[in-house]
Formats: sequence, C-alpha cells, structure tokens
Amino acid sequence: MLKPVSDIAPDRAEPLLEVRDLARTFGARDGRAAGLNVIEGLSLAVTEGEFVTVAGPSGSGKSTLLNMIAQTDRPTAGTIRLRGKTIMDASTSTLTPGWHCQIGYVTQEDNLLPWRRLEENILLPLRAQRRLDDAARARAAALIDTAGLAGFERFYPHELSGGMRKRASLVRTLAYDPPVILMDEPFGALDAQTRTELHADLLRLWSLRRKTIIFVTHDITEAIALGDRVLVLSRAPARVIDEFRVDLPRPRDIDGLIAAPGFARLYESIRQALARQAPRRA
Amino acid sequence: MKPRTGIVVAGRVLLGAGLVGLWTLAHRLLGDQFVAGLDDIAARLWEIGASGVLVRDIGVTLLEAGIGMVVGGAAGFALPFLIARVPGLEVALRPFIAAAMGVPKLALAPLLILWFGIGLLSKVVFVALVVFFLLFFSTLAGIRSADGRLLAVARVLGLHELMLLREVMLPTTLPFVFASLKVALPRAISAAVVAEFVAADTGLGSYIQNAMSQADTVGVFTGVIVVTVVVVVVNAVLDRTQKRAMSWRHSAIGGF
Repeated sequence: MLKPVSDIAPDRAEPLLEVRDLARTFGARDGRAAGLNVIEGLSLAVTEGEFVTVAGPSGSGKSTLLNMIAQTDRPTAGTIRLRGKTIMDASTSTLTPGWHCQIGYVTQEDNLLPWRRLEENILLPLRAQRRLDDAARARAAALIDTAGLAGFERFYPHELSGGMRKRASLVRTLAYDPPVILMDEPFGALDAQTRTELHADLLRLWSLRRKTIIFVTHDITEAIALGDRVLVLSRAPARVIDEFRVDLPRPRDIDGLIAAPGFARLYESIRQALARQAPRRA
Repeated sequence: MKPRTGIVVAGRVLLGAGLVGLWTLAHRLLGDQFVAGLDDIAARLWEIGASGVLVRDIGVTLLEAGIGMVVGGAAGFALPFLIARVPGLEVALRPFIAAAMGVPKLALAPLLILWFGIGLLSKVVFVALVVFFLLFFSTLAGIRSADGRLLAVARVLGLHELMLLREVMLPTTLPFVFASLKVALPRAISAAVVAEFVAADTGLGSYIQNAMSQADTVGVFTGVIVVTVVVVVVNAVLDRTQKRAMSWRHSAIGGF
C-alpha cells in the first residue's frame, strides 16, 4: 500500500514532462540584501496520463514552480522538457505561456473574464486557437453538463457561486484539451463541502480523458484523494524531498476515503515528511 | 434600498420651485442689470428660436466641440496603447507629457486663433487639446490597472495580441474611458464656448460675448442657460451609451 518510491521498481515509461534542477531566485530589493532562493535543485518527472499531486508547506514556492512550467515566469537555472524536447532553460529568451496550448493552467483565482458570459468564457480558448467547430462545441457542452453547469451558460461570472466559477475555470481548460494541466490549489478558497464535491467532479472529469495533471496543494487529504503519486516539497528553497505512491483504487469514493484501508498510514507518513519541514525556531 | 419614485419626484419639484423663487428674489433685489428676469429670458429664447439664431449657434458650437472631441479623444485613447507596447517609452515621455499638461490651455486660445484663424479649425484644435489630456491619462491609468494574472492566464489559453486587446485590455479600460468622457464632454463644450469668446462670429460663445459687449444681461443669461441645457442633454446621452456598453455589470440576476 505504502512504500517510498525508491523501493518500487523504477518507472520505465518515458516521462511526458520533466523538470530538472530547476531554480528560481527573486532579485534583491526592498532593503533585502541578497536575493531570495525560492526553488533550488528541484527535479520531477510525470508520465502520460498520471495525476501527480505536489504537497508543500505554504510559501514553499509551489505556485512559482507551476508558473515556470506554464512559462508565465522564468527559471534562474534548470531545464523543463516536454516529450523529451527542451521547452525552457536558462538560455530561453522569450516566454511562451502555455507552450502553444500544450500546457493548461488552472490558477488559484478562477480568472474568468468578468465581462463574458460563462459559455463565452469556456469557449474562449477554442475560439482563440481557431478550433471552435461543432465537435468542440459538443465536447464543451458535455463538459459543462458533467460539471453541473448546465443552465448557467448565459450567466456572468459575478452571478455564479465561488464553486461554480471554479468549475467553469476547470472546464475552460479541459475543453481545449491540453496534454498537460497544471492546477494551483484551485479549490483553496472554498468551504469543505464544496471542496469535496469539486474533488469528485474533478476525478469524474479526469476519468473521461486521462490528462496528465500536476496538482499543487498544502492539504494532505486533497493530495491523497486526487493523486496517483504525492510529491512532498521542502521549505524554501524548495525541492522534492519525498515521494509516495497512492495505491487507492479508482474510481475513488471521496466521501469514504478517510475510512479506506491504508489512508491513515499514508496520511501520517506525508504529515511527518511535511512536519520535518517545520520552520526551525531560534 | 431604493427611495420611492414619488418622493424623488416631489423632492425635485420642490427644489426646482425653490431655485425659481430664489432667482426671482435676486432679480427683484438686484435689478435687470445684474440678474435677468426669467420672463425676459423666456421671451429672448422664443425670439432667437424663431429667428433661427438659436439652432445655428447650438449647431456651430456642437460641431466644434464634436469634431474636437473625436479627434482629441481618439488620439488620447489610442496613444496610451501604443506607448504601453514599447517598454520604457512611457517613462521617457512622462516629463514631456506632464509639461504639456501643465500649459494652461485657456491661455493658448489667442495663439490658436492667430495660427488657425477665427473659423472652425482654431476651435477644433483647442477642444482637441483639452480633451486629449483627459482621455490620455485615464486610459493610461486603465491600462496600468489591468490584472497581470488574468493577462498571463489569457496568454496560456492561447489568446494572441489582438485578442488580448479586444477581450482583456479594452473591457479593462472601458470604465476609465467613460469616467473621463463624463468630464471631457462638458469640458469640450466649454472649451468651444471659450474659444468663441476670443474670436468668432457665430456659436453660443460668440452670442454670449456679443450680448456682454452690448450690456445685454438678458442675452448673457440666455446664452449660459442654453449652454447648460446642451451639456445636460449630452451627458444624458453618454449615460445611456455607458449602460449599454457595460451591460455585464448591470445584469438582472445578482447585479449591482
């Protein structure tokens, strides 16, 4: 049920996305003498169709990591490879956000356009990529339905609840079908009940098309509930310090998860790995 | 909570009656020379309305203000977008723009008359100058207010420059543009009137100026009232346009 990954036979599959020796230093400013090392020597690899969750203490550079993979931010050092091709290293001069729509990014805020209706928001990337044909519309409509948003297509974002906006933001990315999807605590600001519903929704949507997902969170239960594998980050400067395989069968029953055999042990191991990262007090 | 319509209407009628009363009182106390009587103003309005002078002068002033508004407004709106595209350009231009804004535009009116004559052109240039800076600075502020995260996500979603402009930047700047239009439109009309004070043979400003030079108090008051009404009407039209352009804020369910 639970083994450190080093004990498991190494995965022979070619990784879809690979991050090697990534580093990010924020410049010295505001009276700060030296630059701030947020990430240093971070490496990870994700295979096709894998759902990887990344757990780390808050302030451990989780968002920064995803920003660099999505190319909305630039690493100080290191390499990011997609299907074996280097898409970003320290010599890359211009950022290509989303790497030609190959990497989707669901952020903490829903980032819907407030002046566009729900359906227009969801179809926007397809329209921008000139892929808005009948098949794409049908797929978007099916996703809207699965996410429980049917009937709200003509609503503006401010007329929807927080949970619905999160679903819409998720569906917007799923609808244009990028091979890799990054998620940055997308359900962070919601109440527990809505979160659980959205976990179930996400897993249902994911099971339709097994996208490769990197999901960042500080919530251990969430990390276990969703992931095939949980990576644990150190406190800043962040790197991967531990790795746990989640062998809970799919489809998972989110509500009954806590009672599932092995959950408690896995939870405790991850909690201890994170606790070792607790800030040292002088 | 919205106040009841009946109370609003009653309040307005009461306030209007009070103002008319105050005006009449001032007229009685100070005499014809200082405050024109409302009956005289009404008679004058009827007179210039019948002779066609009223329509002609409103037309001339609105034409000057309108063309100047379009030219100055378009330039003031478009330029910030061009400047924002070139990193560092805004910083480089800043002192020059601040200096240009510091020039008292009213003081330029005589110079503009000298350069562009007493006809339409000098007024249009004057109005355009006044409007340009108002639009320029608020559009620039609107562009700066754009949500960086939203823009980054829009890029990730595959939006190209032109679509970013249409889907993100224009709607972001729209409230700023309308806010400055609300200031700029009355200013444009005032600017046209002031330019006509300096030198002109038609237009509301020239009507007021002529009346003043003949010690025609009724004429001055009539002119000022006409200008005021024109500004109020133009503002009402702008309000309607704004509601339509930003309808996403005023939708029926849960709107504010």
